[in-house]
Amino acid sequence: MKRKNLLQSFNQSRREFLRTTAMLSAGVAASGLLSSAAYAAREKEMNIYCWEGYNSDKVLDPFRREFDCEVKAQGLISDPEAVNQLRAGDTKVWDIINLNNAWGRKQLYPEGLIKPLDKAKFEPLWDMMIPEFKWPYKWAMSDDGENLLGMIQRYGPSGVLVNTDKVSAATLEDEGYDLFLADDFKGRYAVLMYDDWVVMHVAIAAGFSPFRAVTDEELAKYEVLMRKLINNAAFLSDDMNAIALGMINGSIDGSFPGSVYTVSAARLDGNPNLRCVVPNKGPEELGGRAGVRWMELTSLVNNPQLSPRGEDFLQYCYRPETCKNVSFAEGTYNPVGQMGDPRVMALFSAEELDAFQYDTLEADMNKCTDFDIIPDYTRLHDIFSAAVREKA
Amino acid sequence: MNKLSRSADWIDQAEPRKPRKVSRLDRLRDAVRNPGFVAAVPISLLFIAGFLAPLTVVVLFAFMPPETFSLLQVPTLDNFRSIFAGTYYLSFVSSLELATCTVVILLVVCYPLAVAMVRIFGNKGSILAIVLAAPLFVADNLRLMGWMLFLVKGGVVSGTLQTYFGIELDSMLYTFSATLFGLVYIYLPFMLFPMVLGVSMVPPKLREAAFDLGATNAQVLREIDIPLAMPGIIIGALICFILVAGAITEAKVLGGTAVVMIAQDIQKEFTFAQNWPKGSALSVLLIAMGGALSWALFKRVDLDTIFGRK
Amino acid sequence: MIVETAAATESAARTGDPILRLKAVDKFFGDFAAVDRVSLDIHEGEFFTIVGPSGSGKTTMVRMLVGMDKPTNGDILLRGERINDVPANRRPTCMVFQSLALFPHRTVGQNIEFPLKIRGVAPAERKARALELMAQLRLPDSYYGKGVLQCSGGERQRVALARALAFDPDILFFDEPLSALDYKLRKLLEKELKDIHRETGKTFVYITHSLEEAMVMSDRIGVMNKGRFVQIGTPNQIYANPVNRFVSEFMGEVNVVDVERGAAGSLVDRLTGAAYQSPAGDSEFREAALVVRPEDIRFLDHPDDAADNKLTGTIYNDYLLGSRVQYQVRVGSSQIFLVEKLREQQLDVARGATVTIAWDTRQSMLFATPSFTQSMVAR
Repeated sequence: MKRKNLLQSFNQSRREFLRTTAMLSAGVAASGLLSSAAYAAREKEMNIYCWEGYNSDKVLDPFRREFDCEVKAQGLISDPEAVNQLRAGDTKVWDIINLNNAWGRKQLYPEGLIKPLDKAKFEPLWDMMIPEFKWPYKWAMSDDGENLLGMIQRYGPSGVLVNTDKVSAATLEDEGYDLFLADDFKGRYAVLMYDDWVVMHVAIAAGFSPFRAVTDEELAKYEVLMRKLINNAAFLSDDMNAIALGMINGSIDGSFPGSVYTVSAARLDGNPNLRCVVPNKGPEELGGRAGVRWMELTSLVNNPQLSPRGEDFLQYCYRPETCKNVSFAEGTYNPVGQMGDPRVMALFSAEELDAFQYDTLEADMNKCTDFDIIPDYTRLHDIFSAAVREKA
Repeated sequence: MNKLSRSADWIDQAEPRKPRKVSRLDRLRDAVRNPGFVAAVPISLLFIAGFLAPLTVVVLFAFMPPETFSLLQVPTLDNFRSIFAGTYYLSFVSSLELATCTVVILLVVCYPLAVAMVRIFGNKGSILAIVLAAPLFVADNLRLMGWMLFLVKGGVVSGTLQTYFGIELDSMLYTFSATLFGLVYIYLPFMLFPMVLGVSMVPPKLREAAFDLGATNAQVLREIDIPLAMPGIIIGALICFILVAGAITEAKVLGGTAVVMIAQDIQKEFTFAQNWPKGSALSVLLIAMGGALSWALFKRVDLDTIFGRK
Repeated sequence: MIVETAAATESAARTGDPILRLKAVDKFFGDFAAVDRVSLDIHEGEFFTIVGPSGSGKTTMVRMLVGMDKPTNGDILLRGERINDVPANRRPTCMVFQSLALFPHRTVGQNIEFPLKIRGVAPAERKARALELMAQLRLPDSYYGKGVLQCSGGERQRVALARALAFDPDILFFDEPLSALDYKLRKLLEKELKDIHRETGKTFVYITHSLEEAMVMSDRIGVMNKGRFVQIGTPNQIYANPVNRFVSEFMGEVNVVDVERGAAGSLVDRLTGAAYQSPAGDSEFREAALVVRPEDIRFLDHPDDAADNKLTGTIYNDYLLGSRVQYQVRVGSSQIFLVEKLREQQLDVARGATVTIAWDTRQSMLFATPSFTQSMVAR
């Protein structure tokens, strides 16, 4: 008549439990051995670590079918994090790494984390590029110009996002970042927590280039702006969809910072009032540029057992239909460098081009400076993270 | 009688026996051949490789110079110095505050639920348990995303209210309360199940006896139910407290970083800041806090009683 | 034959209002009546024992008496007040549980003080009372701070009793509290309990499945079977005059012989065909059980000695029961009689020896077996 409870039923089957546990752990151990044994033959598998888009089935499924290859893909939201993981030994895991331009040339290649590409195979593909990215393009090459470090595909300008029904793009272009930092904009915007991008844009808003050593006065000014930016924000999020959603439902009018891709999906979905805007005036040392433009570099990881499918994948990405699929991957639409090729361009409809603001794309890109490594990143980031912690 | 005396003679004549000497090697061999030991080997190896090794690396990194990536350097306390000089205490405080609030709410919410599962539903309690455990099979960030869409301005709640009742609600997200809600929601099973265990450890007869001796329901609760369920309650509270103190997603997804939890600072140090040693030092502080709390509680609660070995 | 002790006579002769009165109480679980129209009076200061096999309804009965279950029909009156709907915690009665239900997270002292703490008695006063009770129950003072789980079985028993006494109940109920103890300790505690009853003068209602235990302690015994009392009386009354085969068998090992009515009031053994004298005269029955206690059967020195009932058989087996010896005597091919003697009266014969056994008719009892039709009518 004793009632069974969880504990009792466990007790009764403790032997059973022990046996199962022992078997399971033996299984785990065995599968570990198996997987290392399987390392040797990697013709049929490939792992990629990338910004969202490349990990979509739309891009990967045709490749899986054609090459009969198992592809595992993981998305990232932070270049430094990905770089750290490669440093920590994940080069054994990944075959393809997709990061913003400067990382490959300045850190990954000098540290031996990526492999140069076979120029004979890949140089011809650069013919498809828009004029800005003509061969030999700086960010794809090693410092000495000898080696090709990866392939450029998606790109875009980064500025701020705004709902043009509330604030006109022209006003924002004229007033610049000051508009976001004005008191009456308090609580009307979110901060997109891609840390390094926040740091860059606040530095530019403070009137200096983040891509060189920073003086103490500059740092002080930067800190004032950073704290104001964080304290006045409605919310902080590293989820660009949450930010787009906030702009659509009207809980916020803008986002700092923001790139074309943050709102491109929402724009295609009938919200052309959401726009990425790059202010007209920036620091003189940056040639008056206020935005930062990024281009993704896709490289082969220096994996001791690199999958031979890695090279295939890079070539596959340059096929016109793949270019379109990468450009219009799930949830984020971006221009691609291969739009210099009419075969690629022909695949885009007018609405699709408008989704990533093709009308002002060239102009916006020209208002941007190239994304680069930030030498004083630690100091700048410390101020940023303290501001977030101490958010009022 | 004859028989008895004969056997006594036999005992007297027998040589006195000495205990056989057991060498240390024998004992080791016996221990190694013990099925319990054999069964424990794989899980121990897994434990060493999966838990102790990374923990050791983190502890070692905490004493390496800032912004370096190698363990082969002269140890230093710089990381801890810069942590104590900075405002990291704010994140610790908000993590602890959230953990405390979450645990208190969970205690209040889960206790009646546990009592219902054990005493009222009886054998059907396991159905309830499955229902409550089912969400565990869905990744927690997916569930949080669901809640975000539910609570966001124009989402399920405010959209419905506006469409059918004309009530305009602002976003319910991106606040301390939203974070707290997310934490309570995600960690409910971690409080509930130990608590069910605790409540089921209270013999119904003891409650009857107390009642029979004149105790009111409230007195039975205070004198019998809660003290006897305490091991389960403490384990649940401890698990939740430590998990919440190390939580991150809830504060990001539902809280819009309105509250920065310490785990977020740690994550930032390891990722965006590229400062492993500082992240490790923060981790070490968090682990030390959790460890101290566990140690203090387990000094008061005997694990043996919890698992019914006494 | 019937010798009443002074106490038993006193309580049986009491005429005042009963402390507890049951009026046609029953308790149904679905269609099943665990307790079936029971009426009973329990007197102030009495040691009343309810005895019955498992499933007889005694536990259900006591749960209703202490207030943990409500009767389906009927009334329970405590000093004339109807208490059917008064919950256990508001009744001036309490119970010592079978499991004792000591609070494992509390010390001996805290356990004993529990009912006082509940009532808000000041700590110093509580402690004084607890120590007083511990002294009364022969628990050393040093046990006050000891955990109950560190106590032995007998000590726990005393703690449970002290706790119940601290409650100072009008009636103290016991639900087989000694059943888990070993024989020797049980015997000791039975006597102690009777002493405590005498010292406190409280009304004790004791539940047990052992009539032997009931005999030792009780002023009156109620034998329960199938939800009803089959016999209520003093231990002596029940021992001497069991009302039916159930009660007589329940008292311990007895010889039960299935008989049918023979010629001229004699009884015929349905197994062996042997004839016996009937202790009941010429009563109306077709089949009956003849009950003879093992200690009432004697061995005849000579097969020809005169006796009311006489049988010849062989010693099949013998058992030494401490101060007594029990023999199994096989009569014919299938009938076995148990015969019990004091050790000094041990037979000097080996197994298989032929013996003659005999008993006096007036020491045997006859219970008519209700026939199928009769039992239908009785319902």
